[in-house]
Amino acid sequence: MFQVEYAIEAIKLGSTAIGIQTSEGVVLAVEKRITSSLMIPSTIEKIVEIDKHIGCAVSGLVADSRTLVDHARVECANHWFVYNQDMKVESVAQAVSNLAIRFGDSDDDGPAMSRPFGVAMLFAGVDKSGAQLYHMDPSGTFLEFGAKAIGSGSEGAQQSLQEAYHKSMTLDEALKVSLTVLKQVMEEKVSGSNVEVAAVTPDKGFHRYPQKAVEQVIATL
Amino acid sequence: MEDSGDTHTGFQFSNFARNEKLVSRGFPMPGCRKTGTTIAGVVFKDGVVLGADTRATEGDIVADKNCSKIHYLQPNMYCCGAGTAADLEMTTQLMAGQLELHRLNTGRQVPVIAANSMFKQMLFRYQGHIGAALVLGGVDKYGSHIYSIHPHGSTDRLPYTTMGSGSLAAMTVFEERWQPDMELSEAKQLVRDAIAGGVFNDLGSGSNIDLCIITKDGANMLRPYDVANVKGQRVGKYEYQRGVTEVLTKKVRPIEIVSETVRLITGEDMDTA
Amino acid sequence: MSLAVMDGADYMRDPRKHHFHPYADNGGTSVAIAGDDFVMIASDTRLTRGFNILSRDQGKVLGLTPKTMMASSGCWADVLTLKKVLNARLTMYSHEHHDVMSTTAVAQLLSTMLYWRRFFPYYVSNILAGIDEEGKGVVYHYDPVGHMEKLAFSATGASVAQIQPLLDNQLGALNMKDVTPPTITKELARQLIHDAFVSAAERDINTGDGILIHTITKDGTTDEKVKLRRD
Repeated sequence: MFQVEYAIEAIKLGSTAIGIQTSEGVVLAVEKRITSSLMIPSTIEKIVEIDKHIGCAVSGLVADSRTLVDHARVECANHWFVYNQDMKVESVAQAVSNLAIRFGDSDDDGPAMSRPFGVAMLFAGVDKSGAQLYHMDPSGTFLEFGAKAIGSGSEGAQQSLQEAYHKSMTLDEALKVSLTVLKQVMEEKVSGSNVEVAAVTPDKGFHRYPQKAVEQVIATL
Repeated sequence: MEDSGDTHTGFQFSNFARNEKLVSRGFPMPGCRKTGTTIAGVVFKDGVVLGADTRATEGDIVADKNCSKIHYLQPNMYCCGAGTAADLEMTTQLMAGQLELHRLNTGRQVPVIAANSMFKQMLFRYQGHIGAALVLGGVDKYGSHIYSIHPHGSTDRLPYTTMGSGSLAAMTVFEERWQPDMELSEAKQLVRDAIAGGVFNDLGSGSNIDLCIITKDGANMLRPYDVANVKGQRVGKYEYQRGVTEVLTKKVRPIEIVSETVRLITGEDMDTA
Repeated sequence: MSLAVMDGADYMRDPRKHHFHPYADNGGTSVAIAGDDFVMIASDTRLTRGFNILSRDQGKVLGLTPKTMMASSGCWADVLTLKKVLNARLTMYSHEHHDVMSTTAVAQLLSTMLYWRRFFPYYVSNILAGIDEEGKGVVYHYDPVGHMEKLAFSATGASVAQIQPLLDNQLGALNMKDVTPPTITKELARQLIHDAFVSAAERDINTGDGILIHTITKDGTTDEKVKLRRD
């Protein structure tokens, strides 16, 4: 499966994204690559809401991720409609994985997708078994993580996370760790406008951190 | 002149055309109580045994748990009825009257075949609109007789027969066990079992089993002969405290005495004119 | 009588409407009562068609999960199909989500499954009973096209007109002045279910033969069989 291997290689070129799971919730932080001074940074959206209790950070071909995110949103909405309950994070990852590996086979729905999705994803959510973080790569493989980094800086970032992560971490600590690690691996100087941060907690569900709040944390690093 | 119905004998049909019109425009006819029923009769050595269940239904609801379906016609003749309750009640009463007049006119015991003829003539005249299905049984100087009479007026003279919604259940018992010249005790047991077949396997039939035994010495109604179903026992007591029924509005209207007269009532002589 | 009737063949007469009759009414009555930490669901055991008894020993309550049961009656063919499809959906769920479905999820699933066939419905009256996520007893009542209502007690099926008013009065304390609804204990629920069916069997020809009473608690389920009149 060269196609998949190439896709996995391709996502290593994507912007770095980090997810950290704690008992209080899950933090997602991604790097925004500002490639032009004429670019409006706030229009880059690499962390998206799947459902009120699940968020998702993506790295790689962001355009490809839209299809998968749409699928995840439909699955969540349908699960709520049919069962009147929040979809589990694992089930969302499974549903997205099912679509991710549908390339190559044509069926009644239409012609085959010609290639794998060139994107890696981090699903952060809270369900009845608590806060959870799932990672999925272009092969459709998905696994649960305590902390996970994807994208170009992932190798170094993962090493740093391994050292910093511990089970009794608070959400605030996780937020600080995620930005610290991003700072380490980003080529540009980290700032409020070139990172995107969000969290999912049992109380507030999915929510983004405003730029001001991010800047305050960056100032403490 | 509009026929008031009171001054003439027989049925009054003035609403028939109206009803036809209403039905043609989609309004349903008012329903009548039909007894889903098991009735049966057999000839045995010394006479006949008639049997019936005691359930009367209105649709799927039991209207009467212990109704009487064996009707008196003459001292030597009884008749079980299945079909429309009102038709059965009126038809058998009318026949009882006609038969009594016949007895008085002839001064003889009326033969069962005469009752059969009168029933079929009346029912045929009404073209099936009188919903009466009957099992007629009696003993006369010619012997013991059972007739089944259908609502349109056809009749059969048979040694054993059943009618009503439970007729098939009851007939299976007769077809299995009926024999000529049975003893009374055998015949009673057979009819009981036939009716029980209907009571337990036909939803239109239920509750108790009534029998009527007719021999040359007269008739003997056994009602009930067998309490086949006892009433279910509830566990709880459902009594209400005083005052739980709310008074929603209250209005007191005093009676005003406008005037008062006192009239003395004295004894009057009887009119012996 | 006019001779015109004899003139033409049958197909030459006035146009007539023909009907398709895909449904049968096989009777059956169900009752469910929820308590604080239990729920009781019961049905009679008679199955009918017209004036015939098809079975005297056909309970109508199906166990769906260790904490959820469903009573269905109406067109028995539809009951069997609905149960089959629902069980398949339950199995699929447990495979997809590695979990047993909660009572509330089963309740919603049943509603969507029924509404899915809005224009050719399953001719079935359903009551769902179970223990919810908080450990409380719950009862859901459905119409054949998926309207769902969460209740403390409910009756459905052939004898609903006999039984529901009794429950409304005895458990809901309806239509009475200054009477507060009682605490629903297992004893009270069992007594009312028993007496409701006994009374229904007296007057409704489609209800009888027996009752099957199921009790669900957090510890599991128990069954009880009671005899009713058989006429």
